[in-house]
Amino acid sequence: MATVAPARQPGVMTMAARRRQEALAGLGFMTPALIIFLVFLIIPIGAALYISFTDWNGITPVLEEGAFNYVGTANYSDLLRGYHIEDGREVAAAIRQRDFFIALKNTVYYVLGVVPTQTVIALVLAAIVNQRWLKAKGFFRTAFYFPSITSSVVISLIFMFMFSRGGLVNQAIAGLIPSYAGNYVNWLNDPTGLIHMILEPFGITRETAGAWAGKRTLGLTGWEWISGPSITLLTIMILNIWTTIGTMMVIFLAALQDIPGHVYEAAAIDGANAWQVFRRITVPLLRPTIFFVVTLGLIGTFQVFDQVYVISSGGPAKTTLTVAYMVFQNGFDRSAMGLAAATAMVLFVIIFTLSILQRAIVRERADV
Amino acid sequence: MRKVHVLTLVVLAALVLSGAGAALARQETSLTLMGWSSSQAEDEALAQQIAAFEEANPGITVEVNLVPDYDTTLQTTIASGDPPDVFYIDSSRLADMVEAGVVDIGGDKIEDPEGIYESLRNVFTYNGEFVCPPKDFSTLTLIYNRDMFDAAGLEYPTDDWTWDDLRAAAEALTTTNEEGEQVLGLVTNPEAARWLPFLYQAGGSVLNEDWTEVTLDSEEAREAFDFYVGLVQDGFAGTASDVDAGWAGEAFGMGRAAMTIEGNWIMQPLADQFPEINWGAVQLPGHPDGGEGTLVFTVCFAVAAGSENQEAAWQLVNFLTGEEGGRLVAEAGFGPMPPRIALAETWLAARGEQAQAFVDAAEHAKPWSFPVGFGDVLDTLNSGLQLAYEGQATADDVIFETAAAAEEVLAR
Repeated sequence: MATVAPARQPGVMTMAARRRQEALAGLGFMTPALIIFLVFLIIPIGAALYISFTDWNGITPVLEEGAFNYVGTANYSDLLRGYHIEDGREVAAAIRQRDFFIALKNTVYYVLGVVPTQTVIALVLAAIVNQRWLKAKGFFRTAFYFPSITSSVVISLIFMFMFSRGGLVNQAIAGLIPSYAGNYVNWLNDPTGLIHMILEPFGITRETAGAWAGKRTLGLTGWEWISGPSITLLTIMILNIWTTIGTMMVIFLAALQDIPGHVYEAAAIDGANAWQVFRRITVPLLRPTIFFVVTLGLIGTFQVFDQVYVISSGGPAKTTLTVAYMVFQNGFDRSAMGLAAATAMVLFVIIFTLSILQRAIVRERADV
Repeated sequence: MRKVHVLTLVVLAALVLSGAGAALARQETSLTLMGWSSSQAEDEALAQQIAAFEEANPGITVEVNLVPDYDTTLQTTIASGDPPDVFYIDSSRLADMVEAGVVDIGGDKIEDPEGIYESLRNVFTYNGEFVCPPKDFSTLTLIYNRDMFDAAGLEYPTDDWTWDDLRAAAEALTTTNEEGEQVLGLVTNPEAARWLPFLYQAGGSVLNEDWTEVTLDSEEAREAFDFYVGLVQDGFAGTASDVDAGWAGEAFGMGRAAMTIEGNWIMQPLADQFPEINWGAVQLPGHPDGGEGTLVFTVCFAVAAGSENQEAAWQLVNFLTGEEGGRLVAEAGFGPMPPRIALAETWLAARGEQAQAFVDAAEHAKPWSFPVGFGDVLDTLNSGLQLAYEGQATADDVIFETAAAAEEVLAR
């Protein structure tokens, strides 16, 4: 019998055709998401970048004639140098520079306080909740995670009640330390910086600190730079740490459960105690997760806005003014949307640089 | 055959209905009014006004949109190119709005401008043109708790009081109440909106008449600053949060302060939430040398430049600020005073003799209005006042910084 080459039957495709069809189908399914991404994320970011090079006031409809003028890098110059050149003459913008660096200073103190604290506490909590001997794991997981899913506005309002001068927190502390009763701290309205408070008993004040304390760099005096977070900012930091511990804990839990059991068995055979296991085995194995959590923390804390908006509106005395709140303030209260867009771009660059730096550091360590 | 008949009937009916609909649509004009709500009484008064207007003008319907976050919502709505036909403008934002070109300048379209208080007309006159008619106005006065004064055996404040009288009374009235909580003689926040009257009374000012020069750096400013902050430094005055309240009116209503400096808007909350407080109002205490001064806060109805129904919008605005529409608000007497001189009596009758001080204060009141972009300067001043309250800044520091900020803003 002679063999005949199989004819191409209808309904059956070649490998290449099938791959092409699958690729097209994949693209087709992604298109709605891509469109949404493009329209609501990429295009607005591009528009904001463009607006940051103009002096648009945010009120006049953008598409109208003469709504704004192109001013080049004037907004960026205002923020970073405190002036900009217009028609050959120097136009001062010291307030804008000062406000920006006050906001940046506050945000950096905020980040330095919140990110390490929330990472460490989340890691410890995750390690505890992961223990085999702990009963009712589900309950603890839910309890710790609950604040993360509650509205930040609602939590801010409740904290406002609790931390008011005659509120629960002060009463609780007075119950523990009787001498506190007459000297309640006004948590939500105290602009005194933490570092200033710590230095005061040592006799170091603005007058006694030295010549550097009065010298202005980038709009702020040396003394102002080392102020530390104010009491009000500290309250907002506590609020935020409490809220985000849950999310970070859940991430760490998932990573902890990925660590194979035989590693711990080997450690037990080698005679390691619990602390050694935690420090020498768990933490190094969690390094990628720690990097992820710290990056998330950095991105989130640099953009803190909700709590400032609800609790303090940047006050008292601009000590809770953060960069994100400043963007809102400039854009809507001060009719300076171009400046607001420029501030947002600078914030983006800062966060991006820090993320890249962080990745480089972590990768180096991993290679060692 | 039957099918064709039914089909023809249906088509004919559709044509007739759409024709009628189009005819109606041509007559119906729909206006949107955007504003904020300060109290339920105000919302009801506004609703009554709108109802009366729609009755008098059958072809126009008005949709009222009262938003909580007014500034942000208004700005985004206008910037999108689809502005509300009529919206509120606070006197402090007038310059920003007019310079942005989004307001239809009233000028001749405003009916009977002579019947409005001249000082209010001036507040809303920009570059020589009357931009928008005022909706109402409030003045700052000294509110005091009659029972506390009686208990301390002190005479009630009078319009002739000076700074020294205020200080003495605040000192005498700062005590601890039955629950062991502190009661302040005076509760007032560290902000420009409360300090500026003292500056004006001392004879100082922030800017000159035509907003071209900064006049803040002066002895009068230092004197006013030291007096105001001195009350707090010496312990007779404080902020609302010092006595666990959200704002000064609440602190006063809760009985944690004997006096406060507030405006008409305090009357409704006191009546609603703290009816047992027996209060009175007098002019703000003047400078020992006789200088008087206070602030007037006012809001206007503006028509959007981008509105498609400007004629109907002006009809609405003129009705709301006219005598007929204004009478409804005056009779409700919910807080701010009507802008028409003719309605002052009606309002006073509805409100009671306690409110006389608010009307009298209009005589020496300076407007709460500033040039474009002045928010930065007010922020610097507020910040400085807050630090001074805590003892972390001196009069010199704050005045110098605020003056420098004002110079910068004017130069922009």
